[in-house]
Amino acid sequence: MEKVFTDGLSFAMPLLIMAVGAIYSEKSGVTNLAVEGFQGFGAFIGALIAVLIMPFFPKGSQTVIYIAMAAAAVGAGLYACLHALLCIRFQANQVISGVVINILAVALTTFFTSAANKAITGTSSNKLILDVSARFTVPGLQAIPWIGGFFRKMYPFEIIIMVLVLFFWYLMNKTRYGMMLRACGENPQAVDAAGGDVEKTRWIAVMISGALSGIGGICFAYSLLANFSPSIYLGYGYLAIAAMIFGNWKIGPTALVCLIFGLAKSGGYQLCIAMQLPSSYSDLFLMLPYILTLLLMVFFSAKNHPPKAAGEPWDKGRR
Amino acid sequence: MGEYVVEMRHITKRFPGIVANDDVSVSIRRGEVYALLGENGAGKSTLMSMLFGMYEPDGGEILIDGQKVVFHSSTDAAARRIGMVHQHFKLVGNYTVAENIVLGIEPMKKKFGFLPWVDMQEANQKIRELSAKYGLEVNPTDRIEDLPVSVCQRVEILKMLYRQAEIMIFDEPTAVLTPQEIDFLLQIIDGLRKDGKTIILITHKMEEIKRIADRCAILRRGRLIDVRNVADTSVQEMADMMVGRPVNLSQEKPEARFGETVLTVSGLTVSDEHHFDVVRNVSFSIRSGEIFAIAGVAGNGQTEIADAIAGMVKIASGSVKLLNTDITAASVRERALAGISYIPEDRQGTGVILDFSLRDNLALREYFREPFSKNGILNDEKFNSYAEDLIARYDIRSGQGAATQVRSMSGGNQQKAIIGREVEEHSKLIIFVQPTRGLDIGAIENIRREILAERERGAAILLISLELEEIMALADTVGVIYRGELLKTAPCTELTSQDVGLYMMGVKQA
Amino acid sequence: MARLLTGPRAAVWSSLTAIVMTLLTAGVLLLVMGRNPAVAFYSFLQGCGFAPKANYGGGSGMLSDLFDFLTYLAPMLLASLAFIVAFKAGLFNIGIAGQMLAAGFLATVLAGYNKTLPSPAAKLIVVVIGIAAGGLVGAFVGYLKYRFNIHEVVSTIMINYIISYLTGFFINNNYVDMMTRTSRVCSPAARLCLTNVQIGGVNCKIPFGMLIALAAAFAVHFLFSRTTVGFELKAVGRNAHCAQYFGVRVGRRLVLAMALSGMLAGLAGVNYYLGYTNTIIPKTLAAMGYDSISVALLGSASPIGAIFAAVIVSIFQQGANYMSSMVGVAKEIASLITGILLLYASCGTYMKIRAERVLQRAADRTRDAGQGGSGQREEA
Repeated sequence: MEKVFTDGLSFAMPLLIMAVGAIYSEKSGVTNLAVEGFQGFGAFIGALIAVLIMPFFPKGSQTVIYIAMAAAAVGAGLYACLHALLCIRFQANQVISGVVINILAVALTTFFTSAANKAITGTSSNKLILDVSARFTVPGLQAIPWIGGFFRKMYPFEIIIMVLVLFFWYLMNKTRYGMMLRACGENPQAVDAAGGDVEKTRWIAVMISGALSGIGGICFAYSLLANFSPSIYLGYGYLAIAAMIFGNWKIGPTALVCLIFGLAKSGGYQLCIAMQLPSSYSDLFLMLPYILTLLLMVFFSAKNHPPKAAGEPWDKGRR
Repeated sequence: MGEYVVEMRHITKRFPGIVANDDVSVSIRRGEVYALLGENGAGKSTLMSMLFGMYEPDGGEILIDGQKVVFHSSTDAAARRIGMVHQHFKLVGNYTVAENIVLGIEPMKKKFGFLPWVDMQEANQKIRELSAKYGLEVNPTDRIEDLPVSVCQRVEILKMLYRQAEIMIFDEPTAVLTPQEIDFLLQIIDGLRKDGKTIILITHKMEEIKRIADRCAILRRGRLIDVRNVADTSVQEMADMMVGRPVNLSQEKPEARFGETVLTVSGLTVSDEHHFDVVRNVSFSIRSGEIFAIAGVAGNGQTEIADAIAGMVKIASGSVKLLNTDITAASVRERALAGISYIPEDRQGTGVILDFSLRDNLALREYFREPFSKNGILNDEKFNSYAEDLIARYDIRSGQGAATQVRSMSGGNQQKAIIGREVEEHSKLIIFVQPTRGLDIGAIENIRREILAERERGAAILLISLELEEIMALADTVGVIYRGELLKTAPCTELTSQDVGLYMMGVKQA
Repeated sequence: MARLLTGPRAAVWSSLTAIVMTLLTAGVLLLVMGRNPAVAFYSFLQGCGFAPKANYGGGSGMLSDLFDFLTYLAPMLLASLAFIVAFKAGLFNIGIAGQMLAAGFLATVLAGYNKTLPSPAAKLIVVVIGIAAGGLVGAFVGYLKYRFNIHEVVSTIMINYIISYLTGFFINNNYVDMMTRTSRVCSPAARLCLTNVQIGGVNCKIPFGMLIALAAAFAVHFLFSRTTVGFELKAVGRNAHCAQYFGVRVGRRLVLAMALSGMLAGLAGVNYYLGYTNTIIPKTLAAMGYDSISVALLGSASPIGAIFAAVIVSIFQQGANYMSSMVGVAKEIASLITGILLLYASCGTYMKIRAERVLQRAADRTRDAGQGGSGQREEA
């Protein structure tokens, strides 16, 4: 039972940071289906940097992980510029752009993973092998019945993500930039008339979106898989988008949805073990988050209020 | 400091395919109300958008207080104390009044002593004071999407005041207001002038200029025609200069010959997605040869009535009858075939498919039946000949004839295409929603003539317009809608504009 | 340049531009890696039977490579047609890989492992199952969109993974080949090609899929250019609100578009899994499902354009193995090239807009010079 909470949280938090990234992009008026691509590309850059610097650190050093996280954020943030370029500057169809970004990310990372492996290790593996993140338990809180499991065997990144989410909630709701950003997604003309720079605001939002997705990606790489390979593309980016939709583009409710996804996934897996089914049955339980998403969509999609201007390119010169 | 607070010299501005301003020069004195008069498309808004920094002129120069300025954005203009109320308000729907006003220049405080934090309390307080000072009657914590247009307009005025604008540009501020709201607005503008502000009023209505403006510049087709002292110029002179030829907007309306009842709407109620009744228990009927006009302030349920009759929205309760057939449950297609034509409000969003050719757009009411198609296979020749025929008879102008993509056509010609397509069905009932919005006088004359011709033919016509003048000019019967209810239905001859205006604001009870 | 990009053949020119740009980009990449781009590109062609290889293994030759290429091309073209049909109606079917897998899996299990069926009957059953399975998945997605307003991109991705895990579960439990860890190979009788045909001394397999795919391309072309249903689908895609206004039942048309798209994807699936691979790797979605998007966009969403675009993309994908062995670059570069192609193709609208602006400005200048610059405009 305890493992359900522990694993659930470690799945939910990377999902949440990606969803927060998606919220930033969409609230600024840029539809973001590219989360998956940002996630994968960020994880790739993070893993690549980690593999490169690992020899200079003692085995199992946790510093590598933090450097990798920073690299993932920067790498994905820069990759997100491509989405921004297509959507904001080129005024391409934003849904197409998102799909393009995702497909391109798979192609880029797959090719360069094997290329990097060949250059670094001389092998033609399609995986960048990473260390395992250390874990810790919060004394006191872990003793709480039931939900104590949340506080046992935590990954440090879970704390980092919580802090980041709080910060990005604050940035969106309590600062001038945040006011501008949300206005850009509702009525960019209003922002322009008030002296704001719609394009710049959106560029920043999309880059933030990329950086946060990259962090989510490297966290998945370090927790679930302990390596980077193209198998990191498991549709989690789209799960984050679904969480954002159910969360009605608000950070608080989205966090709750991510937690539900996380618990559903870990709960299903533990159920599989508890029922002593053969390991091949785990495939059936791995489907749970996707099925849950479809079901939630059926019940909640009608009540959504996406940002009004999301998906519409902003053309200052257009009258 | 010189005599003029704003000087625009030899301004030229091009957009792809057109010259919006051609060597225009205007000079505006401090503390006057200066009107820019011209038809839609004369270049008034473009000229003022350049003063407000939204576009940069291709030629000419702008001086503020005798100093040459170059504005790259509206921020630059705002820094020189220039503010503008646009025709389409630039407000964020899900923000409060105060959040809209302070956007970009929010008052800040330090939370926990260090964290920058937007201070909405202070903003609300300041705006409350400002609103009281100028008698604007605006509550800073209301949400924009819950407010009527007249209040939104006052929010825009507050926005300028909050940003300490001294030069205030109003773009067609009275277009969607009732006569009483216009009185209130002109009163506010007069108050601003007394406070020393310089007001620039963009309009195509001579009466307003007569009532409030000191001087008036007349623009036509991008060129400055003349600048006059309003006190020395008659309305007729202004009109002639604006159009460039004698105009007569009050069309000859033949005697009405009503026939049988064509449309009967009873107890119609329509709910929106939040289960809010946007149309409440509306009943009326239209006879053959009658123009029934629905007057009302925007957003009071009039478009929903039109959509409900055409079958595009679900009806919560009530019934719609065409002649003797109940069509409440019929599909859009069935209704069209039963004899309903519909010229929708949103020309480009509903009336045409911008990416289709003119040819295909003209066939939207016919493509599915012979001779336009047979067994599901389209007949290209028929499409072409039909399009050629309509293009000639309704004088639809386009670059490459029937093959032109509708996106590249002007708004007026798009509307001609829609009207041609719908009128050509010779329907028993024709619904016109905002048929002349945004068009120039020539096009307006044409469309009004077309509407009257259909009335002569014996069609029942439902006319929905926000322009009271249009309704009073065309209608046989007027129904006034307020918050989804028909407050008053009466023959047009029994009502004055003032009466209708009061009903539009829900003041009078039937 | 600007004139070409706005003229009547604009789509063709913008696709050619994308191809040239992609070759340049890939060429630079190869140069950076110290390889000769010309040799690499030539070896892609050699790998597909368009140019002779230096030597051939026993029983194979240029012709057998060419037929292998066609076996790959057929599902690629069908999959891109699937994308196009949905795209024209304004839908993004990015679940083609899942629909292919569902169709391929069912056909393999129901007909591919049936040893008793005579060959023609087996092939017919495979085609029917492919169309039915893909069509049902597609229609379901369309229904979700129309009834519950679920964005098809999200729902198709979710369904992709559900299908992937579900079929993976059954393959691992029931149909796995212990040696290869993939599903057992389907019987030759059920495959949509003739195997071991001797032509000119080389061993070839002749795909029926190519005929199906070409017929489908022309059928889709006919649908959208000559029929009322196609007219309505396009109207829904361009402006659903207007379509509703002139009497189209938008919801039904959405479901129909997705069903047709799914059927084509299903056909692609059976051609891919019973013809090209003849086995299914569990829990793996075919990259072709995504490559088909590149093909569709490169072909400007035109069914005829897709034929040419499919050839281009397939050359890279199918020729990658040989290229890899000749030049020593990982074969994954094929996907990278396809991705870059997709990127450039998606910039097509922007190039067109830019070109239009350039032409307009030039026209304005000449007109101003000619008559002192006067004009009129309608209010925006």
